Amino acid sequence: MKKFKKITQDTEFWVFIIIVILSLIIQVRSGQFFTNNNIVDIIRSMIYPALGAICALLAFVSTGPDVSFPMIGACSSFLAIAITKSTGFNGPWIFVYLIAIIFGAIMGAVNGFIIVKYKFPSLIVTLGTSSIISGLLFGAFEAERTELPANLQAFGSAALFSVKNVKTGLGSSMPYTFIILIVVYLVAYIVLNYTMIGRGVYAIGGDEISADRAGFNVNAIRFGVFVINGCVAAIAGLSYATMTLHYLPAEYSGGEMVVIAAIVLGGAKLTGGVGTLRGCLLGTLLLSMVTNSLILVGISINWQKVFIGGIIIVGTVIPMVQKHFASKNSGIHQNGGNA
Amino acid sequence: MENILSVKGIKKSFGGVHALKGVDLTIKKGETHCLAGENGCGKSTIIKVISGFYKPDAGTIEVNGIVHPHMTPSDAIKAGIQVIYQDFSLFPNLSVMENLAFNQVLANNEKFVNKKKFRTIAEEAIQKINFDVDLDARVEQLPVADKQLIAISRALVHDAKFIIMDEPTTALTSKEVNRLFDIIAELKSKGITILFVSHKLDEVFEISDSITVLRSGENVISCPASEMTEDKFTYYMTGRHFENESSTLPKEISKEVILEAQNLSAKGFEDVSFQLHKGEILGVTGQLGSGRTELSLSLFGLNRPVSGKIIMEGQEVNLNSVQEAQKLKIALVPEDRLTEGLFIPQSITDNITVTRLNSLSNMGVLNKGRLMNEASTWVEKLEIATQNPTNAAGTLSGGNQQKVVLAKWLSDNPKILILNGPTVGVDIGAKYDIHKLLKQLAMQGMSIIVVSDDTAEVVSLCDRAIVMQGGKMTGALEKEDLNTVNLNKATV
Repeated sequence: MKKFKKITQDTEFWVFIIIVILSLIIQVRSGQFFTNNNIVDIIRSMIYPALGAICALLAFVSTGPDVSFPMIGACSSFLAIAITKSTGFNGPWIFVYLIAIIFGAIMGAVNGFIIVKYKFPSLIVTLGTSSIISGLLFGAFEAERTELPANLQAFGSAALFSVKNVKTGLGSSMPYTFIILIVVYLVAYIVLNYTMIGRGVYAIGGDEISADRAGFNVNAIRFGVFVINGCVAAIAGLSYATMTLHYLPAEYSGGEMVVIAAIVLGGAKLTGGVGTLRGCLLGTLLLSMVTNSLILVGISINWQKVFIGGIIIVGTVIPMVQKHFASKNSGIHQNGGNA
Repeated sequence: MENILSVKGIKKSFGGVHALKGVDLTIKKGETHCLAGENGCGKSTIIKVISGFYKPDAGTIEVNGIVHPHMTPSDAIKAGIQVIYQDFSLFPNLSVMENLAFNQVLANNEKFVNKKKFRTIAEEAIQKINFDVDLDARVEQLPVADKQLIAISRALVHDAKFIIMDEPTTALTSKEVNRLFDIIAELKSKGITILFVSHKLDEVFEISDSITVLRSGENVISCPASEMTEDKFTYYMTGRHFENESSTLPKEISKEVILEAQNLSAKGFEDVSFQLHKGEILGVTGQLGSGRTELSLSLFGLNRPVSGKIIMEGQEVNLNSVQEAQKLKIALVPEDRLTEGLFIPQSITDNITVTRLNSLSNMGVLNKGRLMNEASTWVEKLEIATQNPTNAAGTLSGGNQQKVVLAKWLSDNPKILILNGPTVGVDIGAKYDIHKLLKQLAMQGMSIIVVSDDTAEVVSLCDRAIVMQGGKMTGALEKEDLNTVNLNKATV
């Protein structure tokens, strides 16, 4: 019972409940939610935002918002694709990813350096670098819609597995980038939970001075977070291009807000120190369901945004309401200042 | 007995300000030593020097007979020195277990998390002080007292020989303070030396074997606790002599009732009845959560009563908003003066005059000259220590900030003044000044309600006191019964 009570205090639990209810409603109304092709479609559409959610999570937990990951993803994948095409390289796809990761790491390092060295707020710094990167991408590099190099094209068109709905005849296939998602989450999970550096990410988000006194290298961890964010952003950006089979530079910007909304839904705190990978996945799943499946019940695309906004507000308000009642019941009166 | 620590001639300045002007401090092995002094006397600086965070400009540090020319934080930890900071230095977002284990694991330079080992470290740590806590709970969900015990347990993880506690009782209730003292006694029985930093008289006498007093960066005296008296102690801390407060003449209290509460109930308390006479200082005392603060808020229109009556000067009044309370000339000095009562970055003048800008302006335009006059009158009257009233309020010490808040409310000439914890975190000197001022105001006919859990303060300041407990009024003490013993009995 005590354990159950503890679970109900988690935001994640409530997001999970909302997901279950929403999926049941869609299933009852359309009969098409729990179909193999719809499930594959939802997971497929989760891959890109869920990778971005790691960037948002690491930044929020340790330091503060990072809004530059979509543009870092756009720019590093552009450079990787351009280099691959101009050299005519046609080796394994993974090398294209490695090139993108290197560029992503460099851009992330710039963020990290400014934030750590000059103690500027991460929101301002990443807004700035995001804008600079966007300007370079469209101005200096003149990025536009392009075809992918052959190796990525092949990687993107290959299917991990395909499903076909016998009733409707609709099919859907799971891309290989799904494996990338799983690998990145596994690595992140192990690092965040089973290494002292990972615990340090949470520690500095909880109390920076305490972390310093305890012996964590606060600056190194913070710098590392932004470099890793650059790398993950590059992986996400290139995976997005791979899945759409084209490089579409205009599609990247603005993605950060939906992703941040997703992790907040998943229980990450804007004040830092709190947030889990499980929450990231639940949050992105819920938002993907709304964007993907509401159409099945005949709700127009325009209403999706209303739904997303409503869910974000309800999802974040529930834990606060709980906290309010918890403190009321424990007999400690909140509004009496110290009393 | 051997000395565990001996520092000599420590000097430290920050950008031309001499924080320490040659401090000597000698602490014997196994004793509980108290370091006392008013705010800004250099207590925190000397702690940071001893723990290796600051490098002194001059002087020597000797730990266990070994001279450390360049003491670093890790040297200090290796020598068995542990500091428990006022803010406890915990991670609110992490589990108790992680909070206890991190330092040790990091000191061993381990790279991976071994949950079993974390748990063992944590369990051993809390056992050392017989502290019972859920190791998987998040620290932010725990009460302050538990947080402190976690910080103490963590210090013991490191096999601490010498624990420095920086103002450990600031956030604790008197029950929790007693528990802390029991733990300190237990640590002492295990041969652990303790440096207890405090400016609270009663605590210092209760707990320490010897006492060192710092004043403006110099040590003024070091002696066994048995040779210290309260008067001497106050003198060494402040450099001033005070007349004994409680020796003020008993005064005749007017029969005129200015405010009366009849069976008043609101959120946080119920069925409270009392009378406040003209020129009287009434104490409202009780533990944290007893409803004392809520009661004061109700009298200022911030906590709407659900039943009962408030009668002011013979007429029933509705106190549903601050504006109504102000119209009736009731003023409240809130508990947390820093966040509730003061505009820290604004000037002292602006702070003092803010409640009566209307009367200090001509047709909506502020009259600068009148503002300045008003402010300097109050600065003089209350002896606020400032060079210039146009300085920001944040430049003042805690006691002087409190005086500014007082001036702000007094300038409106209230009939009833409610003060919530008027001297929390205030130096002895400033506390004395504030008490003196309140007594003067009462003599002049102002009625004052003092909400406080500082029993010594209630006894020396108030004419009468009511006691609250768990939201109910459990007793009233007249002047002749008002003493520390009775009050402690009534509030436990």
